[in-house]
Amino acid sequence: MTTATAPAVLGGDFEVRKALRGGLLAGTIAVFISAIGMVETFNERLIVDPILSLGYAALLWIPVLFGYRVSKRLALEGMEAPKVGAGNVIAGALLGATGGAIVGAFVLLVDAVNVRSTLINVTPAMIDLLAFGASVAVGALLLVVVGGALGALGGSFHLINPRVRSSVLTGVSWMFLFAFTELVFGDIFGTNGLDWLWLDRLMYGSGRGLTIGAAGVVFLAAVLASLRFKGRVRGTVARFQALPENKRQSRGLYLGAGMLVAGLVLPSVFGSYLNEVLASVGLFMLMGIGLNVVVGFAGLLDLGYVAFFAVGAYTTAVLTSPLSPNVAPQMAFFEALPFVLLMAAIAGLIVGTPVIRMRGDYLAIVTLAFGEIARLIFQADWLSGTFGGAQGILQIGKGSIHTLFGYVVVAIGVVGLIIGFLRWREGRRLDREGGAAHLPGNSTPGMGITIMAGSAGAIAFGLLFPSFATWTVTGIDSEAVFRMVLMFVAIAGYVSWRLQESRVGRAWMAMREDEQVAESMGINVVTAKLLAFVIGAMLASLGGALFAVKIGTIFPSSFKIVQSIIILVIVIVGGMGSLRGVAIGALVLIGILGGPTQTGLLREFQEYKLLLYGAILVYMMLQRPEGLLPSSRRTRELHQEEFLQDAWIKTQEGAAAVAEVEAEEAET
Amino acid sequence: MPLLEIRGLAKQFGGLQALAGVDFSIDEGEIVSVIGPNGAGKTTFFNTISGMYPPDTGEILFEGEDIAGLTPDRIAKRGIARTFQNVRLFPNMTVLENIMVAQHCRTSKGVFAALFRTPAFQREEAEIRQRAVDVLGFFGTRLTGYRFEQPAFALSYANRRRLEIARAMATQPRLLLLDEPTAGMNPRETRELTGLIGKLRSERGFTIVVIEHDMRVVRDVSDRVFVLDHGTKIAEGSYADISTNEDVITAYLGRPTGEGAA
Repeated sequence: MTTATAPAVLGGDFEVRKALRGGLLAGTIAVFISAIGMVETFNERLIVDPILSLGYAALLWIPVLFGYRVSKRLALEGMEAPKVGAGNVIAGALLGATGGAIVGAFVLLVDAVNVRSTLINVTPAMIDLLAFGASVAVGALLLVVVGGALGALGGSFHLINPRVRSSVLTGVSWMFLFAFTELVFGDIFGTNGLDWLWLDRLMYGSGRGLTIGAAGVVFLAAVLASLRFKGRVRGTVARFQALPENKRQSRGLYLGAGMLVAGLVLPSVFGSYLNEVLASVGLFMLMGIGLNVVVGFAGLLDLGYVAFFAVGAYTTAVLTSPLSPNVAPQMAFFEALPFVLLMAAIAGLIVGTPVIRMRGDYLAIVTLAFGEIARLIFQADWLSGTFGGAQGILQIGKGSIHTLFGYVVVAIGVVGLIIGFLRWREGRRLDREGGAAHLPGNSTPGMGITIMAGSAGAIAFGLLFPSFATWTVTGIDSEAVFRMVLMFVAIAGYVSWRLQESRVGRAWMAMREDEQVAESMGINVVTAKLLAFVIGAMLASLGGALFAVKIGTIFPSSFKIVQSIIILVIVIVGGMGSLRGVAIGALVLIGILGGPTQTGLLREFQEYKLLLYGAILVYMMLQRPEGLLPSSRRTRELHQEEFLQDAWIKTQEGAAAVAEVEAEEAET
Repeated sequence: MPLLEIRGLAKQFGGLQALAGVDFSIDEGEIVSVIGPNGAGKTTFFNTISGMYPPDTGEILFEGEDIAGLTPDRIAKRGIARTFQNVRLFPNMTVLENIMVAQHCRTSKGVFAALFRTPAFQREEAEIRQRAVDVLGFFGTRLTGYRFEQPAFALSYANRRRLEIARAMATQPRLLLLDEPTAGMNPRETRELTGLIGKLRSERGFTIVVIEHDMRVVRDVSDRVFVLDHGTKIAEGSYADISTNEDVITAYLGRPTGEGAA
């Protein structure tokens, strides 16, 4: 054993083996991201102008984080807190220096031996970059020194107050956030009639990174704000969660409505770039919500979800485009929408029926195949008369979504008519069972008739004046597209929320838990599964329809398996079975990294997107398998042990509280 | 007419004849125990009645209609509910949800009603909840109060068994099939459950078939005992008759072979 523990005077833990092992890992990661060209590509993006580029940032966080982690000890409540001291710093420094040495060795190696035939990204420019512009020998030494220093910095984080530590982290994160969103701010300041270009010039340098002054201000402001408000957010969330169920629900509804209104108003100041990104986020959120119904609620692992997205897009294309080869009814977007939903439902049944009896892995494999089959059908020559083959379909919806509010009124009227009828029937039933049972809010036949009459009026009005108000959204107008997408997301979110808390949702849940038992308890699993498939398909088809009109052109190659995978990753990373989770997952993954063909805030990640998706997925599975914002149910499921312990503690507290109350009652 | 009448029920798994032509019947309001040594086919008997396995041959007449070969959910809807030998709850659903979901086949509101929260939907949800509370109340305070919102996996073993019975009750059956309800319980819990099985009939009016190993429970609850061995009925009658029946004793203890040689 080469494990050595530092003398007690140093304090803190210091294990040579662990530090060396960490250094090896850190160095390997650094070499890897350099060799695939990430560092060089990222180097064009400046974070702080002119001293720090994203390329260096991508390298330098490694020794800091690893240096911190190497001497991190789990602090348990009721146990002696781990001692900190110089040992932490030394461990970090050793780790960083080891990592630096590995990168240095790499630099020396690739300088001496030409490896560009296999590793095309190992360019002289990259070697120069890694050597900090100096000669390779000096650069290699520098790498060891810098690595050691940054590792020591990471290790020394143990020595400072955790509160300050987390504030510093917040500060750095905000700095990066502002640097990343440079384009967005440029847009907001420059193109919205706000003559704030001076602010833009103040914040961002000529290389479009934050200026040193601006970086300092952002950092300080974030640190101070975080010190000031630390714990308040968590406190508010905790108080919200402590509210009774119904209150929480209504508050959540207000919050959602508030966010919806903000989402409708804010795009006008966001600028086109952010709106474009947010529209992609919304599109994937919409599909994530749909897939969440299938995977998260019903527990059916569907890897061919893109098929339904494609069905939505192609149905819209065929029905709205004047260039659709065979059939070209040239409908408006909203006229086509009912057919889109219908086709999606049929597609859901077609995929769902043969896989009814399959479970788990088998289901995943078969649906994966269905996803590919869908793409091949749209690509096939013998259907090119309808779907355009590999050439795809152009001029979808003539590039715009034309909303005639008259028809919106008609749609609302139809829903009202149905509700009115149900109220009327309910009222009749109550009357039959005894008229005295009428309470305020209860249905009466008269109420139903009034609602029906009003609805009929609305329908008549809508049909007579279909174009009393119109809203045209063209695909290139990203602001309006985002609003449109947001409304669809709201509808999808509502549908999924209501279904989850209903008899249908409970049946899905039971089926996910134990299909055989669910069946024995009277749940028709065939219907339940098909319903999940159909609803998931319909939601995906809405996404497809919007996608088709937004882009205006679709090709079979837009519907590859990677789409299904990315939507699934959104659901998993966000939190399976949780609406908030899916929203956060889409925001983080699509918003920052970008979708399969869409860019996110970090355009430089374009090429390395799938790598990062994979890395994030692996990290999440290891560290937080329940997702970023999981439903409480899922957390419970994956952390049964912790839950049981908590429950036990609560029971003790509860028993104590009950005893207290009883004692008081006994006194009075 | 008996509530459940089975004629010539047979089920084979590969080379194993799990059930070889079993005849069985139970009248409304009866409690019948099914006993037999391990591997006698008791659980297969339940699985076949509840539709988890379709029988190879034979008739299963429930309320005079043949239900053999129907899917489990149809059979549950007809009014047969069961529990499982190795407790199979929905572990990550709460106690209340476990009971609410079991009322699926007695309720009807679908997607549309849920989306628009129609009055009928809200009324049905309230009724489902109320019935769940009512069913859980049958077990005293063991499954009530703060336990409503606890996930099923957090319950003690005995409470899981109780919850499983509650879940079967919630499907509003006429016939309850209980598969070893007292397995793994301590003597006090077993006594309590024995009383409960009686109450299931007297208070809730269920007809009950129970597979049981504990002979005291069999003696205390059953009107009639039905003995299976190697997939065939070897005896049937009152507990007193069965406990002295030669065939039954042989099936349980084995025939003393080679006695003469010793």
